[in-house]
Amino acid sequence: MIFLVVMRKDLKLFVRDAKFLATLGLFSASLVLILSVAFGPIFAQPAREAAATVWAALFFAGVLGLTRSLELEGESGAGDALRLSGADPFSLYIGKTLANFALLAAVFLLLLPLTAVFFDVGTLRALPGVLGVAALALIGYSAWGTLFAALARGLQARELLLSVLLFPSLVPLWIGAVKLTHAYWGGAPVDEVKDWVKVMAVMDVLGLALAAWLYEAVQEAAE
Amino acid sequence: MILRAEAVHKRFDDRPVLSGVSITLEPGHVVLLSGANGSGKTTLARIISTLLPPDEGQVTMDDVPVSERRTQVRRAIGFASHAPLLYLALTPVENLEFFARLSGVRDGRRRARALLERFGLGYAADRPIAHFSRGMLQRVVLCRSLLNDPEVLIFDEPYAGLDDAGVAAVNDVLTEGKARGRATLLIAHDKERGEGVITRTVRLANGRAQEAA
Amino acid sequence: MTTEIPVWWSRGARWLWIAAIALVLCSFWLVVRAPVEAIMGPVQKIVYVHVPSAIVTLLAFGVTFAAGIAYLSTKQWIWDAIGAASCEVGLVFATVVMITGPLWARSAWNTWWTWEPRLTTFLILWILYAGYQVIRSSLKSGSKRTISAIMGIVFFANLPVVWKSVEWWRGSLHPKNVTMSPDMRQVLLVGMAAWFVFYLATFERRLRLEWIREARSREGHATADSAFLEARVR
Repeated sequence: MIFLVVMRKDLKLFVRDAKFLATLGLFSASLVLILSVAFGPIFAQPAREAAATVWAALFFAGVLGLTRSLELEGESGAGDALRLSGADPFSLYIGKTLANFALLAAVFLLLLPLTAVFFDVGTLRALPGVLGVAALALIGYSAWGTLFAALARGLQARELLLSVLLFPSLVPLWIGAVKLTHAYWGGAPVDEVKDWVKVMAVMDVLGLALAAWLYEAVQEAAE
Repeated sequence: MILRAEAVHKRFDDRPVLSGVSITLEPGHVVLLSGANGSGKTTLARIISTLLPPDEGQVTMDDVPVSERRTQVRRAIGFASHAPLLYLALTPVENLEFFARLSGVRDGRRRARALLERFGLGYAADRPIAHFSRGMLQRVVLCRSLLNDPEVLIFDEPYAGLDDAGVAAVNDVLTEGKARGRATLLIAHDKERGEGVITRTVRLANGRAQEAA
Repeated sequence: MTTEIPVWWSRGARWLWIAAIALVLCSFWLVVRAPVEAIMGPVQKIVYVHVPSAIVTLLAFGVTFAAGIAYLSTKQWIWDAIGAASCEVGLVFATVVMITGPLWARSAWNTWWTWEPRLTTFLILWILYAGYQVIRSSLKSGSKRTISAIMGIVFFANLPVVWKSVEWWRGSLHPKNVTMSPDMRQVLLVGMAAWFVFYLATFERRLRLEWIREARSREGHATADSAFLEARVR
């Protein structure tokens, strides 16, 4: 299973880079902090504001994680060795996507309690629903993000360019994640917004399908 | 296995680097590619090893264009360059085992350790390579290029940063390869170091290749 | 390949430009003469520019999408040139849409901007294809073509989902099948034809630039100097 080998390798590299992990954690926590300060101290619609905050922080912090994983390939030319290994490009992509998913999930699990405490939202009963939404959102985010990060690799200011491509493209995923999280945190009846699950699923499938089609071309796009 | 570049052209933006270069790598031969800095040696090596597509012309393996069976060609090539092509946060064994798994080499860990022993790196096999000296790193690079027991070797400046023992190890690999019918392309600006193993010399100048005596 | 474009091309281009200018002038003349809409007054006439521009934008990005697929399967430089030329022209038309839309909305809905699906989708499109230009211009020759092709494909493939989701997010206000008097419809049709031919003409101009660049680059000249390029384009 090539993709598991690649995922394990990427996770190992993430874990050994304590400085990077610490920076990513602190950066995302400070995003939650400034957003809650901006909305607070008295929250008009805590569920809504909290949902916006947690997803905004995750989207921004995620860009750093995504570019990091491509930098690991670039810094000593390991990406060339990946290509020379003759391994199936889509397996490489899936491996990287899974590793990015795990990294983003870890960030989410850090942000979730922070947001819950700062905005005083969420109950244990709502937790499975929120985690389900997060899974849908993060699958799409890492699927699209891994593809786009590969497009922007080697560019100057790639974090910025990646955000420029990623955020507008993921608007459907973003609306869905915020609406559903908002509902689960008691801001609105879940039934009214449950159709957004379909939109998010479509985005997940579309991202993976585009990568299955195009990732090899991205990988082979050499100078 | 014969790897051949035919009338290869390559330009970067508007700067032509190669304008019609042909070169053949045959089993049992070590071809030294020489030329001034910026003459396109590394570019040619990258094109022959399928990392870079030529603008015009083609690369063939046994007369079949490499683009038609890229995986097979890539798995037959051992490539080492000045850039290590390794993950610096991993240990040599982790690196080699990872690439062995990817290229479908069986029993990767044992092969990795055997290669490291051979290059005198057994003692450092489980340390992250980030703190390795240039010479130690270069030895790991050589190990990686030999993982798949390649039929074609493409070595871009393999002597860089190596001490005498390291140079001897590289020449050992090249001599052994010659005996086993490997086709080798060697790029080195100090060709004295490859004395005795080089069978042909090709010189790159002004985007063209010339057979040198 | 020389910097001289083929004869059929330059001849065709001349007629294309004559047609484009004639049609655009004709369309403007019709717009001026068109009946003034009862409720909105003359502002409604923006529609005759806005709607054709929007359609041409989608068409232009559609061409970039198709050219992207063609490039990836053939690796012929001309597909990349077509995709890039169409994308750049499309961005200009998208900008026209983004300017005329709020002007109209200000008088129709009494607000410059609403989070209306088509407006929002166009904003998203505009950002994405502007990003395309930035990335394309910062890439080196080899990867430039592949990466541009992929962006052209991915952005366009994502478009229906973005559109649908934004529509869902905020029910639609945007006029769809507006009842127009027959003469208004006629003006709009001429406008569409005019802007379409104008798109073809500007696209041809932009494509010619790519042609010259490619030819210069193949001749092995050092970085094509802009003075030379400008002289050739004129």
